[in-house]
Amino acid sequence: MAATRGPRPGALLAAALTLPGVVPQAVAQSVPDTGYIQFKYLDYRDWQPGARRMRVENPGLFVLKPLSESLVIEGSLVYDGMSGASPLYFNALSGASGEGVTDYRSAGDVRLTKYFDRFSIGVGVAYSHERDYISRAGSIEVRTWTADKNRTYAFGFAGSADRISADEGAVQGERKNVLDFLFGITQVLSPTSIVQSNITYSRGHGYFTDPYKLLDNRPDHRRILAWLTRYNEHFPSRDGTLQLAYRYIDDSFGADSNMLEVAWVQPLPHGWSVRPSLRYYTQKSAFFYFGPPVGSGLRPGEPYTADTRLSAFGAWTPGILVAKQLDDGWSVDLKLEYYEQRGSWRLGGDGSEGLLPFSARWIQVGVTKTF
Amino acid sequence: MSSSASAQRWACANLKMKALRIVVAGLVIAALGGCASYAPPQAWEKQYLALPAMQFDADKLDAKNIQHVYFSKEGSAGGYGVGGGGCGCN
Repeated sequence: MAATRGPRPGALLAAALTLPGVVPQAVAQSVPDTGYIQFKYLDYRDWQPGARRMRVENPGLFVLKPLSESLVIEGSLVYDGMSGASPLYFNALSGASGEGVTDYRSAGDVRLTKYFDRFSIGVGVAYSHERDYISRAGSIEVRTWTADKNRTYAFGFAGSADRISADEGAVQGERKNVLDFLFGITQVLSPTSIVQSNITYSRGHGYFTDPYKLLDNRPDHRRILAWLTRYNEHFPSRDGTLQLAYRYIDDSFGADSNMLEVAWVQPLPHGWSVRPSLRYYTQKSAFFYFGPPVGSGLRPGEPYTADTRLSAFGAWTPGILVAKQLDDGWSVDLKLEYYEQRGSWRLGGDGSEGLLPFSARWIQVGVTKTF
Repeated sequence: MSSSASAQRWACANLKMKALRIVVAGLVIAALGGCASYAPPQAWEKQYLALPAMQFDADKLDAKNIQHVYFSKEGSAGGYGVGGGGCGCN
């Protein structure tokens, strides 16, 4: 996250309502002073010992534009070009020839937010399309703040309707519907510190099975309660900012998790800034995950999965972001992050056994122009 | 596929711990809401709060991309917001 020298008048941020996996929301108590357009390109690769797996090339565009003194519109378009091999079960990779598969995903979303004196209302729609998966979603969010603007309450509601047709026709017309709720509070603690805490509740019903995983059979409903707390503090003596985040997830699938992230934003001379970061994630296995060999623990009519993403593991992500402010409202940024996931890294032990470490790296370049 | 009896037994066995965590989360939220007694800064003291580094998710496209990566490689996601829809990646 880039940092610039000097404050932007009237830019105090309230509760962040970002969409999981889609688009973060404009968060402010007034219409932003300026709009901006942003382009990013993400190159993602993952692997396991002895084998490359997936590669994803992801160009994306985001635009935010004030339409009036009380109305702002924002939206994004992204495209994922995917190729490579993903596991059929545990670490056994797909693709008869070993060359894997190719796939794509395109997605877009738009949000309109109207600001009033002490509250705002935002309405959004989102759509994504893959060869075998279509998702349509709508949302509404209401934020209200105190007269001194030091505390903001956020309320969000969303619904999505997904359709799945996959596995070369073996799965046709399956549906999944999800309702999401959010309640959050953002509180300014001091002239140099701010905290935000959000609770989201997701309730889904329908087809959760992965049709590309051998013997995969998941429950037809899922409830996820997530509690995210973030804290930012600026240190004027160092001109740097500490960013902390902690999240706990309670999942009806059993994959309860904890996540802790720490980052430091340090402005440098001549408009440069650097942001090193470190994230740790640990999760339990789903109650229907059974370790190798495949089929072990499988019982007729009972849920089952050999998907390692639902195993018990811990994961670390060190990363660094470098940004540069240019003239005339231009800025550029470069992010590099490395991810590794291991059963032995699960907090407290009891990680899933018999699995290879999973590694990934992503490089993201971006350019932004305010207008 | 409906939940099995074994799933229900598992859920009951963890209910106490989950309820405790939810109560703790609720207390934290309530504590934040009860910060009326705390002395917040005046309007003219908020210059540092306006810095981009002090904002949550100032880079919206970056947050979107990175959360999507984690969503596709880990068991679940949430907490950042609502309304994004689904994908075939998880």
